[in-house]
Amino acid sequence: MAFCPVQLGAHGCLTALGDAAQTHAALLRGERALSLVPVHGSAGGDPVPLALLPGRSLDETSPPSWLPDVKRLMRGCPEAPWGGARHPVFVTSSNFGVGNLYEFRRTALASHLGYGTPEACVGFIGRELGWGGNVSIVSHACVSANVGLVLAARQVASGLADQALVFTFDFLSPFVAGGFHALKILNSEFPAPYQARATGSIGLGDGAAFAVLRRPGTGWIIAGQTLHNEMHHFTAFPPDGAGFIACIEPLVRLASGRRLWIKGHGTGTLDSGRLEAEAFGRVMPSCPLVGWKGSIGHTLGSNGLVELAVAVESLRSGRIPGTVGSAAPAFSETVALEPITDGSFDGVLCASNAFGGAHAALLLCHA
Amino acid sequence: MPDPLNARIKTMIVQTLRLEDIDPASIKDDEPLIGTGLSIDSIDALELVVALEKEYGIKIKSSEESMVALSSVSGLVAFIRQKADPSRLPPA
Repeated sequence: MAFCPVQLGAHGCLTALGDAAQTHAALLRGERALSLVPVHGSAGGDPVPLALLPGRSLDETSPPSWLPDVKRLMRGCPEAPWGGARHPVFVTSSNFGVGNLYEFRRTALASHLGYGTPEACVGFIGRELGWGGNVSIVSHACVSANVGLVLAARQVASGLADQALVFTFDFLSPFVAGGFHALKILNSEFPAPYQARATGSIGLGDGAAFAVLRRPGTGWIIAGQTLHNEMHHFTAFPPDGAGFIACIEPLVRLASGRRLWIKGHGTGTLDSGRLEAEAFGRVMPSCPLVGWKGSIGHTLGSNGLVELAVAVESLRSGRIPGTVGSAAPAFSETVALEPITDGSFDGVLCASNAFGGAHAALLLCHA
Repeated sequence: MPDPLNARIKTMIVQTLRLEDIDPASIKDDEPLIGTGLSIDSIDALELVVALEKEYGIKIKSSEESMVALSSVSGLVAFIRQKADPSRLPPA
C-alpha cells in the first residue's frame, strides 16, 4: 500500500463536551457527556445514552438545529477558495440529513426535503459556508471520515490539490437513535468500552469536525492511512479478529522506532471490543489503548476525525485521557482506564471500524 | 402435549423472514436459530425481535439478551413464556 503522507493543518471538532480542547480537558477529568434521553425525542420511548450538543434537542427541525454549531466550528477553518479547482472539499457523514427525511415522512412538511438526502444536505451546508462546486460526498458507515481523509490525502499527495478540506458531521435524530435501539446495542446502559462484562451497550453522540490537509511540512503529519474490508458479514467480524490486525500492521511497520499509543474505536459492544483490544494487545503489546466513546458517545461516520482532533490535543500536551466509563476487568492488559501523563510518546495510531467489516487507521506524528 | 406456542413461533419465523421454501414444522425445536440451517443473520434477528416485541408486548433489553432469546425455538418459547403477559399467550 502506498502511503500518502500529508500535513494536518488547521483542524477542529465539536462534541457534546465542546471543541477539541474542551473535549480533551473534560475527558481528562473523566466527565461523561452521555445522559439518558428518550430514544424518540419528545415522542418519548426508552431512555438511551446520548450525548447531544449543549442546548440541542434530539427532535429534527427545519432548518436543522445544528447549523449554528457547524458555522461556529468552521470559523476555525482558514479562508481559502474551498470547493475551487485546487481546493477540493470532501464531506463525510453516515447519516447526513436522514432524520429530516424521516420527519418529512411523519409530518409531510416539504421543507425537510431540503436536507433529507446527502446531496441536498451537503448542498445546503456548502451554500451556507460559501463553498464552490468541487465538493465530493463520501459515506462508508462509521469509517466515513477516514475514507474522506484518505481521498483528500491522495489529492494533495498527487499534486492535484494545493490543499484539501475534509468536513465531517453526524447529528443524532430519533430515526438514527431508533435504528440502533432496534438492534439492541443502544439500550438503557451506559457504554463501557473494552470492559469485560455481561451486557454490551453503546452510546451515541453528536459530532462534527474538519481538517485541512497540505503537502508535508512542519507540524503534525498524517504519515500513513490504511483501509481494510473483511468482506465477511454485515454486522459481525470474523472471530479471529484478523481484520483489525490486517488494517494496522502496515502502520505498525511504518511507525517502527516510534513510541506510540492507540486511540481505538471501542464503542462498548462486547464482541468487537474484545476482538479489537485483543488484536491490538497482540500486535502492539507495549502501546496503551484508550477509547473515548464511553464519554462523548459514538459520533458515527464522523468519529474518525472528531477523535483525531482530540488525539492531537493529547499528543500535544502529553496528557492522554483514559477510557472513560470503563472499569476493570478489561479485555486486554493494554487497555488504559485512567489518564496517562507522558510526554515521550511521538505518535498515535487512531483506529475506527464500521458495519460491513470495514476498518480504517491512521498514524499521526510530528514531521 | 407440545406447547402450542411452539408451532406459532415457527410459523412466525417463516412468515417474518419470508422463508418461503421452509415448512414451519421442519424447524427443529433445539436447533440453533442463528448460523445454522435457517441461515438467519443479524439483520434477520433484528426483524424477528421487532416482530416478537410487537406480537407479545415483550422488551428485549440488549443484543446479548436477544441472542439468548433466539438460541432455539425451545429457548424462544421459554423466553416468551417468562417475559410476556400470559393473557397474550395460548395456554401451555
